Amino acid sequence: MATSALSLEHVDAFYGDSHVLQDVSFELGEARMLGLLGRNGAGKSTCMNVGMGLLGARNGAIKVFGQPVTRLPPEQISASGVALVPQGRRIFRSLTVRENLVVAARKPGTAGRHAEWTIETIFEMFPRLQERASQMAAHLSGGEQQMLAIGRALMGNPRILLMDEPSEGLAPQIVAEVMATIRKLKESGLSIILVEQNPNLVFDVADDIVILNTGRVAVVSTPAALQKDDALLRQHLGVF
Amino acid sequence: MTFWLLLSVNSITFGALLFLLAAGFSLIFGLMRIPNLTHGSLFMLGAYFGATFVNGMLGAYFDFWLAALMAAALVAVFGAVIERFLLRQLPGQPLAQVLVTLGISFMVADLCLMAWGGDPIAVATPPGLTGFVRIGPMVFPLYRIAVIGIAIVVGVALWLLLDRTRIGAMIRAGVDDPDMARVVGIRVSGLFTMVFALGAALAAFAGIIGGPILTVYPGIDQYMLPLALVVVILGGSGSLLGSVVGSMVIGFLYNFGQALFPELAYFVLFLPMLLVLLLRPQGLFGRFIP
Repeated sequence: MATSALSLEHVDAFYGDSHVLQDVSFELGEARMLGLLGRNGAGKSTCMNVGMGLLGARNGAIKVFGQPVTRLPPEQISASGVALVPQGRRIFRSLTVRENLVVAARKPGTAGRHAEWTIETIFEMFPRLQERASQMAAHLSGGEQQMLAIGRALMGNPRILLMDEPSEGLAPQIVAEVMATIRKLKESGLSIILVEQNPNLVFDVADDIVILNTGRVAVVSTPAALQKDDALLRQHLGVF
Repeated sequence: MTFWLLLSVNSITFGALLFLLAAGFSLIFGLMRIPNLTHGSLFMLGAYFGATFVNGMLGAYFDFWLAALMAAALVAVFGAVIERFLLRQLPGQPLAQVLVTLGISFMVADLCLMAWGGDPIAVATPPGLTGFVRIGPMVFPLYRIAVIGIAIVVGVALWLLLDRTRIGAMIRAGVDDPDMARVVGIRVSGLFTMVFALGAALAAFAGIIGGPILTVYPGIDQYMLPLALVVVILGGSGSLLGSVVGSMVIGFLYNFGQALFPELAYFVLFLPMLLVLLLRPQGLFGRFIP
């Protein structure tokens, strides 16, 4: 595997007394896309929250390009080059579209090798956001909000992008647009973890796959290998 | 006619003073969800510090405006300390926050009584603003007109800060979704300390600006705090426009109530607050927070 961009090593995490991640280990290679799959409640979003510092890992280590970030708060993990497109989008509803982007602006990290994202380049990628730049974000459609959530994450000029169910609740045509954007981001050299309920979306774009089941890593594989193993998919995802 | 006009100017002046006090209270209450009952104490501390500097109680006499800025800066530091070392430890615990801030306000009142005694302290009107303005047959105290001007300048500055700057957008983002704000790299805790310090500075500034009108005396904190509360509840917490409107409404109700129905002055003052709480709990311009 290529250099590790983000790694979770033997991570345990809890919501109250509930042991939601149990000895979870996986690795996102640099400039690769890792698809994180699993049923509802498998721990996918928890992995994103732990990776971003929103939920502390009780045991284990999280590393960004080899540097431990396990105990760091989200703002410091963000500064180390990690960005999150959260489940449910969670845009700042009382800010305008432009303000949502401006507040997240950050110069690219020294180790970054990606083009610097600015409001202009975000608007080039999502012209609809430019049309609505002065509108309150709360008034955007679901698809536009998703574009804004992606744009906001990119404004941090991250090296690692965590995308938590970006297709959730969107019309098929908008999902296709979002996936096309994700493909472009991958081609730009970003290291991406893509969490999805729908494995077919992930198989199309991911290099590596991790399947979680009840808070544990159940499968580490590749899309090509998994697509041939219907029984495994049925066992862990309940599909095919 | 003269009576009504003078009463109106007094009402606007008092409203302007209330705005300076309540804008900070509203910012802290609305943006950070902290019911900061030390706000009256911050007003009183600003007034006492300012009076100390202006009246040469430390051996040197300071210019009124310099004294106002120094008092505001000192109280801002005090506010930042309260936020960082006390209220920061009680996130999402409004009852504990109320008790802590109430306790601090009593402690500050005791300390002020010990330091400055029980007698009222007069604060001279700043030189250059001691005269009167003649508008037609009417004569208005120049300082009161200046207080209105100061409130307008502060109001516009606050609006520009919150609505037209990146840091203002970051504060609003932190209020919308603190966790996501941190995820995009905003240091929310630092911003909130800044907001608290700014609110404290505004209260202190109002305290010394109000000095020549109200004088400074023990108990002025408990006199001003309920008025600021009514303004924020009426206008809506976190809303600058709400603070402006609320302050003016209360300024008029207070002055006209005292003049026309002195025995019912507080009834007239608090009745609108009760009605607003019943009919529109988020205030006239506040956002509904479930």
